[in-house]
Amino acid sequence: MKKIEAIIQPSRFDAVKDALHEIGVEGMTVLEVRGHGRQKGHTEFYRGNEYKVDLLPKIKIEMVVPDALAEQAVQAILRAAKTGKIGDGKVFLTHVDDAIRIRNDERGDAAL
Amino acid sequence: MEIGKPTDKGLISAFSLSDFYASESLRIQQSFDATGDGLAVLRGRSELVDTAVASLYRHYFSSQLDQPGKFCMLALGGYGRRELFPHSDIDLLFLTESGAEQGSQRMAIAALLRELWDLRLRVGHSVHTLAECGRLYRENLEFNVALLDCRYLAGDPELFNRLHDDVYPHLVSRDHQDLIRNLAEITRARHRKYDDTIFHLEPNLKDGPGGLRDYHVCRWLARISAIAKRKVWSPPEELWPAAWRAEVGPAWEFLCATRCFLHYFRERDDNQLSYECQDEACARGIGCRRGADPDCGGTSLSPPSPEDWMRAYFRRVRSICQLTLRLLDDYTPAGTGLYGLFQNWRSRLSNADFSVLREKVYFRQPAALAQDPALVLRLFEIVARHGLEVSREAERALAEALAHGVTSRLESGVVWSHFRQILCFPAAANALREMNRLGVLRALFPEFQAIDSLVIRDFFHRYTVDEHSFMTIQNLHALSHRKLRDRPHPDTAPEWEDRLAEILEELEQPELLHLALLFHDVGKGMETTDHVEGSRQAVEAIMTRLELAPPDRATVRFLIVNHLEMSTTLQRRDIFEPDTVRAFAEKVETTERLKMLSLLTYADIKSVNPEALTPWKTELLWRLYASTANHLARSADDERLTLARASASAAERILPLLTPSMSREKIERFLEGFPRRYLAAHSPEEIALHHELAERLASVPAQVHLKAQGSLHELTVITQDRPFLFASITGTLAAWGMSIVKADAFANAAGLVLDTFRFGDLYRTLELNPSEAERLKSDLVDVLDGRMELAKLLSGRLHAAQGRKPKVPILTKLRFDDSSSSHSTLLELITQDRPGLLYQVSSVLAELDCNIEIALIDTEGEKAIDVFYLTAQGRKLLPELQAAIEQAMFAKL
Repeated sequence: MKKIEAIIQPSRFDAVKDALHEIGVEGMTVLEVRGHGRQKGHTEFYRGNEYKVDLLPKIKIEMVVPDALAEQAVQAILRAAKTGKIGDGKVFLTHVDDAIRIRNDERGDAAL
Repeated sequence: MEIGKPTDKGLISAFSLSDFYASESLRIQQSFDATGDGLAVLRGRSELVDTAVASLYRHYFSSQLDQPGKFCMLALGGYGRRELFPHSDIDLLFLTESGAEQGSQRMAIAALLRELWDLRLRVGHSVHTLAECGRLYRENLEFNVALLDCRYLAGDPELFNRLHDDVYPHLVSRDHQDLIRNLAEITRARHRKYDDTIFHLEPNLKDGPGGLRDYHVCRWLARISAIAKRKVWSPPEELWPAAWRAEVGPAWEFLCATRCFLHYFRERDDNQLSYECQDEACARGIGCRRGADPDCGGTSLSPPSPEDWMRAYFRRVRSICQLTLRLLDDYTPAGTGLYGLFQNWRSRLSNADFSVLREKVYFRQPAALAQDPALVLRLFEIVARHGLEVSREAERALAEALAHGVTSRLESGVVWSHFRQILCFPAAANALREMNRLGVLRALFPEFQAIDSLVIRDFFHRYTVDEHSFMTIQNLHALSHRKLRDRPHPDTAPEWEDRLAEILEELEQPELLHLALLFHDVGKGMETTDHVEGSRQAVEAIMTRLELAPPDRATVRFLIVNHLEMSTTLQRRDIFEPDTVRAFAEKVETTERLKMLSLLTYADIKSVNPEALTPWKTELLWRLYASTANHLARSADDERLTLARASASAAERILPLLTPSMSREKIERFLEGFPRRYLAAHSPEEIALHHELAERLASVPAQVHLKAQGSLHELTVITQDRPFLFASITGTLAAWGMSIVKADAFANAAGLVLDTFRFGDLYRTLELNPSEAERLKSDLVDVLDGRMELAKLLSGRLHAAQGRKPKVPILTKLRFDDSSSSHSTLLELITQDRPGLLYQVSSVLAELDCNIEIALIDTEGEKAIDVFYLTAQGRKLLPELQAAIEQAMFAKL
């Protein structure tokens, strides 16, 4: 099992969600986050006041998928989230030892 | 409380008791399935449990039955009231004379409880002495309140009688104020948990406002009061006002049937009326009379839909909720303490039409409604303004007046003049809810009926469509009460909502935003696939009836048609992308509309459910607002009108408004070269007027037009460009003591300058002396023609204005921007607003030979926010000139 964490542009969220549904990823956790990568942000003015735009709003999605689906899911995210511009985000992949469904104690892929 | 007589059918063995209980329970359930009679279930189950409990008592306490005066068993709560729902808890109280509970008693209690648990009953129990029952438990008043429903089951009747006739009444008459106050606090806290509204899409029919718990609260309040005053245990319903009994009785029966159904359907004590349960309850006609029941919606030909059934549910729950709030007010001790003083003080809000007593409004002369229909609207004005309630007497007078068609006698203009006030007062949402409940909203705007108690199921919405609409207005008013000074420390960054609160304060016509919010979703109740279009059509008819001015109609129409635009942009577009901002700015066209749409989007999302608008989303919303506002201010001269583009289509719209002598070529020539913003900032009627003024320039070289607009005046000056033009106009206005709030300055390709100023008349010169308007206009023309010396006109006024201290000091900030416009340098100036400010600024610019291409002047409280598009000799400003301006500006300001 692999855990996929993806930080994406908020505007690409619907497309990413649809792409994941298409390949059979049904469950995911979605978080509204702020952060910055190499793109450190900039300063804006509004009515004479300076506003730092250093932490940009992003969407983070997390999901755990069977090994066989992991690469397909990553590709789906990359395809749907890419605009080619700075700030498109990142995808992280980690190994997961086990998963347990609390309701009925199912384990492994069956719990996903 | 009454002494019950359990139908003890003799000693039943534990085994046969279980069979007996199961078969009787099944019989009661089958009877409910056949008849839908919830009250019969409550009675039947209470009797069944009485039988079981009595036989168990006889069995386990047989050895103690010959020891009277020591011990008895009572039922509390719902069981005490003989209102046992299929999966309700059973509450038992074992009452002893003294604390010395014998070992044998303890064992007997344990054995009895075990038997009840084996019947799968959920039993709660407590053991108390008589003395304990006469004590007030400030930390656990629930126990004191539970005794209001206690009922004798078995044991020593004398002991029970002492509690019933002496100990408990004594406690109530001594501590009734504490009991009632606590009950009120618990009830209000419970309502808050459900956002103080009955209109949840999946309501909790026990604990939600207007639910069964509220019905009990009404009974308890009446009972406490009766015991305290007369030491009588009369049926509490009989103590309610008769008019309420007729409404609340059927509501109670409906809720009982629905909760019985829910318990049977879910096979547990579940009180949440989920969508699935609503479908099933509707299909089975729960709570409805057999056959067609108009109260439940539907006809003999078409059965009710789940939406109809829920409307029937809300109608009933609403009456229980109203009675609860009313009794809480009536019975809550007043007259002492700060709250009582406050309530008495509020009686001073009484006026010639209404008297105010304990937060309720009464008509002074209800009969006056017949001659003065506007009294209806004035009633809700006072309610909205001061957050009061309509008294029961006023409700009755209103109902009678509505039956005689009082609203049809209202003139359209009168309706809007009052309704706009109602919308803008702080308690507008509650006033609108009251207007809806009492049928006034429906009478004025039949369109609203489509969404009354309307359930539209989706994953996010928590409230019915009408409540969602009221909630948007409530949330917007709540926003305006946020104050920056409430921040923990002045250096703390303002929350995103504080920034939105600032733009709310700047709105010129907040009533239009509120009107749009009230009707933005009425299309959801219409038979159309596009609810936005449905809402637009409905609001067009409403605005025609209200006789709104054409520009106001255009604004409301814009807000309704685009009410999803901003949230779609936030969700689907990259708002940090300049193209997104540009496209959005083109849609909103003006800063005023941008402000309104941002606030509408804020209120709309926030009213979907309490968690829908996260700080993350609010930040996105504000950022899109700020970038678009900046774009509108900084791109004003990038798109000029040309014959090939917008001016041709604009001419098309304006031509019909002109006198026949005006030709199409002339209007196109007039528009040529104006920034696109000019078209957005003015209605076709205004542009037609500007054109006609421009045509008269041949005879009088400066055309001046002045009109009153609300509390402000609007001055339009059209003339050929010349040095010191802007400074001359602003100087003349300053000399007259006028405070400029907003200004626009535009020029067309032929060098014609069109300046518009909106100003406040600080000394009410024009209001008190209407003829002075002509003198102001002639002063302006004389100054522009050089016949009058501006410095002389100004000297006295500016001198008088010096030395006045500002309330909130604003630091002067000045910023040049060479990148936003292709042919001008932008000067953004933020400074303390003061008399003559624009004159000072524009004369510095004129002295340094700068030409003002466009000026966008705004004020926000005491802060002036000015943007000038400047050129010198037809080009952007060189760095040396920028430095010189900065130096001169700081020296002057």
